[in-house]
Amino acid sequence: MKSERFRVLGTVTRRKDGIGKITGREQYVTDISLPRMLHGRILSSPYAHARIKSIDVSAAEALGAVCITWDDIPKVRYNERIVTVPWALHQDHYVLADKVRRMGEAVAAVAAETEALAEQAVRAIKVEYELLPVITDPVTAMQPGAPAIYDEVLLGDEPVKIERNIACTREIEEGDVDKAFAEADVIIERTYKTPKIYHSQMETKSVVCRPEPDGGITVWPTTQSIHNVRILLGRIFGIPLSKVNVKRVPIGGTFGSSIQMNPPIPIGVALALKARRPVKLTLTREEDMHDHTRYPTQIHLKLAAKRDGTLLGAEMELLADIGAHNIQAYSFLGVTIGWLVSLYRIPNVRYRGTAVYTNKAPSCAMQGFGNPQVTFAVETLMDELAETLGMDPLASKIKNYVGMGDTFWGQGPMVRSVVQSDGVQELLHQGAAWIGWQDRPKSGSQTGRYRRGIGLARGFHTSSAGAPQPGDVIDFSGALVKVNQDGSVDVVTALMDHGGGTLEAVAKLVAEALDMPLEKVDIAPAETMSTVYDVVTHATRGVYAGGGAAVKVAGQIRQEIIDTAARFLNVMPEALTIEYDPEVDQGVVFSRSIPDRRMTIGEIATRCWTNSWKTIAAVDSYRPVNCPPAYVTTFVEVEVDTWTGQVRTLRAALGSDCGTVINPDMAAGQLEGGLSKGMGFALYENNDWDVAGQLLSKGYLVDGKTPAIMEMPKPEDIGVYFAHTCEPSGPFGAKGIGEAATNPVAGAFANAIHNAIGVRFYELPITPEKILAAVRRKTDAVREKGESQAGGEPEKGLVGTGGELQ
Amino acid sequence: MQVEFELLMPKTLSEALTMLAPAAERGLADSSTPVMPIAGGTNVIPDLRDGRLRPAVLMDVSALDVLRGIRRENDLPGGLPGGLPGGRHGGGFIIIGGGTTIATLLTDPLIAQHAAALRQAAAVFANPLVRNRATVAGNLADASPAADTAPPLLVLDAEVELTSRSGTRWAPVEAFMVGVRKTVRRPAELITAIRFPVPPANSASAFHKVGLRKADAISVLSVAVLVECDADGLCHKARIALGSVAPTPIRARAAEDRLQGQVLTPALIEAAARLAAEAARPIDDLRGSAVYRQRVVGVVTRRLLTAVVDQARKVSSQFFGESPTPEEQSHATQSHHTQS
Ligand SMILES: Cc1cc2nc3c(=O)[nH]c(=O)nc-3n(C[C@H](O)[C@H](O)[C@H](O)COP(=O)(O)OP(=O)(O)OC[C@H]3O[C@@H](n4cnc5c(N)ncnc54)[C@H](O)[C@@H]3O)c2cc1C
Repeated sequence: MKSERFRVLGTVTRRKDGIGKITGREQYVTDISLPRMLHGRILSSPYAHARIKSIDVSAAEALGAVCITWDDIPKVRYNERIVTVPWALHQDHYVLADKVRRMGEAVAAVAAETEALAEQAVRAIKVEYELLPVITDPVTAMQPGAPAIYDEVLLGDEPVKIERNIACTREIEEGDVDKAFAEADVIIERTYKTPKIYHSQMETKSVVCRPEPDGGITVWPTTQSIHNVRILLGRIFGIPLSKVNVKRVPIGGTFGSSIQMNPPIPIGVALALKARRPVKLTLTREEDMHDHTRYPTQIHLKLAAKRDGTLLGAEMELLADIGAHNIQAYSFLGVTIGWLVSLYRIPNVRYRGTAVYTNKAPSCAMQGFGNPQVTFAVETLMDELAETLGMDPLASKIKNYVGMGDTFWGQGPMVRSVVQSDGVQELLHQGAAWIGWQDRPKSGSQTGRYRRGIGLARGFHTSSAGAPQPGDVIDFSGALVKVNQDGSVDVVTALMDHGGGTLEAVAKLVAEALDMPLEKVDIAPAETMSTVYDVVTHATRGVYAGGGAAVKVAGQIRQEIIDTAARFLNVMPEALTIEYDPEVDQGVVFSRSIPDRRMTIGEIATRCWTNSWKTIAAVDSYRPVNCPPAYVTTFVEVEVDTWTGQVRTLRAALGSDCGTVINPDMAAGQLEGGLSKGMGFALYENNDWDVAGQLLSKGYLVDGKTPAIMEMPKPEDIGVYFAHTCEPSGPFGAKGIGEAATNPVAGAFANAIHNAIGVRFYELPITPEKILAAVRRKTDAVREKGESQAGGEPEKGLVGTGGELQ
Repeated sequence: MQVEFELLMPKTLSEALTMLAPAAERGLADSSTPVMPIAGGTNVIPDLRDGRLRPAVLMDVSALDVLRGIRRENDLPGGLPGGLPGGRHGGGFIIIGGGTTIATLLTDPLIAQHAAALRQAAAVFANPLVRNRATVAGNLADASPAADTAPPLLVLDAEVELTSRSGTRWAPVEAFMVGVRKTVRRPAELITAIRFPVPPANSASAFHKVGLRKADAISVLSVAVLVECDADGLCHKARIALGSVAPTPIRARAAEDRLQGQVLTPALIEAAARLAAEAARPIDDLRGSAVYRQRVVGVVTRRLLTAVVDQARKVSSQFFGESPTPEEQSHATQSHHTQS
């Protein structure tokens, strides 16, 4: 929360990149045009599973196109996401397919003078495919004798055999689970299913690559990590990293879709290297929609509790359908159990996770990385458990949640830390009061056509994957800060900003740290050559880890300013202080006991220059040793139309404990966006594949069913509020917010719908069809029992028109 | 997929009709590529990118001003459908140019006054960007079962004007669409207009679509109704049309017949709604199951009928100065309640 302690943080300020963005002057990858640039197109497979027997590019080459096929690419197998340490990384991917494993897989690519010519050329390529049986269902994929999508992949540098299409498994057990279940008063278990939804980020994936005369390359990619793209490109193409320069380009949203180096990037590079000319390659929306999705899961969850609601143990079995490539299945299986044990104190837990290949678009992280899936299961089962025990779900959450002083698994079993800031109860109570939790209807008590219900779910996300020991997840950041000759400040960081304002936050943190106005602190354009490493903007770590690095370096600069001023003013550095002076609108260094010894930061910087002395600058890396939970609570009120099954979202109370709020407007935006994305996951979106491995929506957004502004409650019906907490390990007390914002939303919807109509749903999305079918089953059951229903007319309508139609 | 095509840009209608004329008439080989009109392109372009459509020659009709606009005419010089001689037809006709955009339907006063169902369909059609480009002719010519202008036009007894170099003919909307994306339009014909008789004052129409989200959703099912009745609720004419529940948008004739000539009671409306649902022959697809469609089409029909009957009766009683009976009043409040 905003505190009087801060000058810049917590105030609403105008976004530095805002004007460029809203006036269309921001340059995204597709806006880049270089002299002699060619246009690339990918030949992607129309089949979901096939061996490539031959590729004939002669007709395409006759049109003047440069073509690449399997023969032209380095035979380097890689994993496009290198956040996991190399020895724990599964590698199954090549720049172009060795074999087709999903529809849309890149088989060949061309570059030509115009996009139109490239399109013509790509269609002139003749490919002979040998079709293989397609597997789209993960359970079928695991049957003995199921067609093998892979024979072997690499784990680190070692080949490992893939049996029954199982990419990897993970088993974790802590405490004495059998004993916990034996001693329990109540045991409750359910199976949940979550869909394979598309990220629907605004910008489709794109790259521009220019080969350099020295054998190096300059690359402008759509990415969340310029350094990881650089490392991968260097490795695949055998170029020293010093000759691979990857530029930061503004990105039109990602929701996690570009944590990994996405497929067009190395293809664009391979084309440019062969053509010896710059190449631009951009996916169409249809292609992009075939390229990545959230992990669909099946989760069997079993909870053991005492009569008073205390949780004793849990068992969770999770099946993840990873699609055609293993992007981060092993860490996915690790984090998902972490999400469970970090939501509630569960002393005894047994977990088995299985990740299975299918012939569909690869699954990857999408806002929450498994957390929305697990939290949906946990929060609806906790609601059901509370109901069984006759408890208020709110009370059962307070009784069991992982909070202050508890151990918390930030990103799986290897990333543990202790909670040091906890606004959970404040969030719960404030949200409950705002929405009228105590006055919500008794579940299933309503009759009539429209029924309203209120649902609650809580959640969190880890701020970074920081931990005391190194672990198997790479997480560190760095920054370079320098004071210019007029005292203004350049912040050089490799962090990416997906649009949520991460870089804006970094500028604010540095301004606060240096007692400078935000106007005089700017974020320098970035490229891998002149920035120090940052792993990737993901894991809700931008502000916490990336901002943490900038604040650490700013602290060093602050000291150097004092030391420098000490020489100029002839005062001991220990006697000097820096404070912001509104009169000169910048930081001033002074000594309290000798008031005339003072210099502004601008004067100090100028003097450093005119004295031919130095630039005040510092660069350092920063490893977070914690990964504090960014807590959230979501209350939603819905109205269910029992005649059509449609759900309207009436109100929502969105609470966030992100520690110090840096940008209140943007933090609220994160929560509102998280509601919208979560609503899509809960009620609308489901990318279905047919048995031949074809995407039914064909990549059209109109059937992607992402909710839009019309599905949102009115602005005055959304309550956004923040906990009054300060995270001791975070920059000025800040934690993260982004992914947390969406994690509990689906659970809140499922619970609200249950509150309205008395039916629980275990499978997302909860579509009008499923609701209508459930309402009818319920009505039929009531009728069979011969019980009379109150409020006859609308109910009669339902039975009358619906029931007797068939 | 990105595609290449040749684009013709006629400046006048006759130029356009010449371009569309059969190859032989234009002195070309019979094997020459057929010319396909493109208006807003909101169907054609996605279809091309999908590979579902492969025309090598497109003809852009969006510059033809004569195809745009909405007007009312009392005398129809061209004669009435079915070869009837021209002349006055009650309140005359509303004529919508084929190239009129959906956005225009939404703002046009004639449509607002006389064709509430069509206006409501325009209001929930796609999104503002698409509405600015998409045309009524394109919607009908595309002949999707989910074409949102079709059910309203069906209940309005609308006809399509098909013009070629050799003349003009009119086809009722119902006869125009003959299958999924199949119409009776001949390759040389353009849809130049759509017309319907101005419904009498004591009638009301309405449209409702069930989509998977509020905007930018293709209909899972849609219903349009039109009812003409007097203040006592005696029904002179009833029209019910359904979208997305059969290969083409259809009329639910049995349901209409159930209402025509009867006093419209809730029970009768209920029965008609059931008949309408029975007329539906939906399929399962990615937007919804057949079971769901059939069930909800009945619910929506009943809701719409209840609302328009109420409206039509109110207008009738205003016109003829009769006060509603207590029974009618309670019916009105009730239906208002269920609409809340
Ligand atoms: C995002 C999106 C959302 C959509 N949502 C909806 C929706 O909610 N409801 C709905 O009904 N549709 C929807 N559509 C489909 C489409 O917008 C409509 O069918 C639209 O009315 C088509 O009109 P158009 O002018 O764009 O047709 P075009 O794409 O230009 O043409 C469509 C067909 O009509 C033919 N044609 C066009 N003009 C003439 C003419 N004058 N004479 C003869 N033939 C002609 C063309 O040859 C072609 O066969 C949507 C489309 C998109 C892309």
